[in-house]
Amino acid sequence: MATDPSRTAPEERLVNLVVALMATEQGLTKETILTSVAGYREQHEAGASKDALEKMFERDKQTLRSLAIRVETIGDYADPDDLREARYRVPTEEYELPVDIEFTPAELAVLNLAGGVWSESSMSADARSGLRKIRALGIEVDAPIIGYSPRINLREPSFAPLQRAIEQGRVVAFDYVKAGDGAARRRRIRPLALVEYEARWHVYGFDLDQDGPRTFLLSRIASAVEITKTAFDLAEREDAGERALAGLAEVAARQQALLEVAPGTEAALRLNRRATPAEQGIRVPYVDIHVFADELASYGPEVRVVEPDNLRDHVIARLQRLRDVHVAAGERE
Amino acid sequence: MNAKLPLLATDRAALILQLVPYLIGKGEVSLSDAADDFDVTPEQMRVMVEKLTVIGLPGEGGFWQMANDLFDIDWDLLDGQDLIVITNAVGLERTPRLSAREAAALLAGLQLAASLPGVGDSGVVQGLLAKLGRGASSAPADVVIAPEAVDDVRVAVAEAVQRGRALAFAYRAPDAPVTTRTVDPVKVHIAGGQWYLQGWCHLRQAMRTFHLDRVSDVRITDIPTTHGADAVPELFEPTASDLAVEVRYGPAGAALLADFVVTDVTESDDRRTGSIRLGDGRSLKRIAARSGGDLEILAPASVREATAAWAQAGLDQYR
Repeated sequence: MATDPSRTAPEERLVNLVVALMATEQGLTKETILTSVAGYREQHEAGASKDALEKMFERDKQTLRSLAIRVETIGDYADPDDLREARYRVPTEEYELPVDIEFTPAELAVLNLAGGVWSESSMSADARSGLRKIRALGIEVDAPIIGYSPRINLREPSFAPLQRAIEQGRVVAFDYVKAGDGAARRRRIRPLALVEYEARWHVYGFDLDQDGPRTFLLSRIASAVEITKTAFDLAEREDAGERALAGLAEVAARQQALLEVAPGTEAALRLNRRATPAEQGIRVPYVDIHVFADELASYGPEVRVVEPDNLRDHVIARLQRLRDVHVAAGERE
Repeated sequence: MNAKLPLLATDRAALILQLVPYLIGKGEVSLSDAADDFDVTPEQMRVMVEKLTVIGLPGEGGFWQMANDLFDIDWDLLDGQDLIVITNAVGLERTPRLSAREAAALLAGLQLAASLPGVGDSGVVQGLLAKLGRGASSAPADVVIAPEAVDDVRVAVAEAVQRGRALAFAYRAPDAPVTTRTVDPVKVHIAGGQWYLQGWCHLRQAMRTFHLDRVSDVRITDIPTTHGADAVPELFEPTASDLAVEVRYGPAGAALLADFVVTDVTESDDRRTGSIRLGDGRSLKRIAARSGGDLEILAPASVREATAAWAQAGLDQYR
């Protein structure tokens, strides 16, 4: 542990800064901050250079930004570009949860359920932190909603950087494997929404190379997601979630498989829920041919694909691989 | 709960900002309760509370801060009884806004909650969606959970859980004949878009898990549940009587094994070998088929042969 008395833990300095900047209406000058706010003051008195302290202040502003706290800069009214006399403050109305937002005991009970759906992901910590803030309002809560244990699985490492890029409005680049195609290709998109559809995570965005909206499966992103410096207008995010859902629904309406299903089997139970009857068998909509072929292969002899041809070929290829793996290696032993 | 890890300075700052309104709201709270609420250890909570007492307003005109410029706590209560009481607050009294990400996490959870019979139709969810959007510091990224159709089975099961009545239904497990079950419902699990009912099965005289897609002819009986408060096992918890199966798999197979505990894993090249336990080996051929052969069953021979036969029978349809 550091024993130097001029060093204050960074979290102390950050909180001191927030307290000081919220207590002022007209703002504090940088000079005042660096010489009087605890955490800066000690280092100033210990002889730290002005330059080093100013850099620390800039970093701290960035850090607070990541905590959703905006430090407002009030410039010289005569010359807005002149920051020498600038004053800094944290506007209380931006920091605090608006006073008129209140939650009923019933709402808090539903929120408790909603906050618990995330398993093993950064979203889980975010949900808990959000709940903590709301609970600190001191509201009574109804009895917990029993009998339900809803969970959303989120295992894709690409989720967090994509979410950050959507928040900041930045173009992202990543390698994407089009299933069945093997080789990964670099894609550049303006990410707009994250969508869980049929238990799979997708990112919806504007593909810069294809010049149109596209939806990508997170499980097929084969590289780290690079957040580029290219920004885009946040207005493009408006209703992106709804557009993404509408797009997926439109694909499902267009792609319909004709299937023959053995009655009373697992395949019949699962597929009939989504099917419409046809003359020869049933019609089932699907969004992704490879995901659907995986499912149909799992039913083995319980389902036969009549059309389309490419879906049938994919299912046959999977069953052949499955047989070859389990027969050939068996003969070796 | 994975949060009891060392925290970064930024995380600690965020927690301290939340701690003040929390402590003011509570009036008096035990160290262990506060630690639970903040997902930290009691020791971490003690350090955080102690740290709070050196935080405060800047001193006037370059002087050191006076005592009433700083947050303060009742030290006797903390040292003597492990109780936290804040005695002087110099700001931060009001709870901070939600960050965009906190709002997104709760909004997405609400969309799932909205699809639950009895929760979503109470009108509460709509009001909450608006409030959370307004309570965020900046517009959250759209994180959308596509709504799923709720059928009669799901509605009936939810109602039976709420009313504490046993359910009667026909159940068809894969590769098994249809059985008629009477079940004291305990909990509805929703995982990976699939709905499961856990409850006390009168036929098996034990806690059982039922996939709701395999349930039909459901009826709510007049029999009050007698096992409704029993502890339920984890959804995919292995039991001692289970069968051990040796598997070899690549990335696609690994994704399908995510709900299993894989033991004795060895790795060579891109593929791993390991052992899983499951109640019924018959269902494994379906999982292997879903992976298109990326998941290979090595032993026992009966499960391996059943998988090969499953693939062959599937292929025979296309001759």
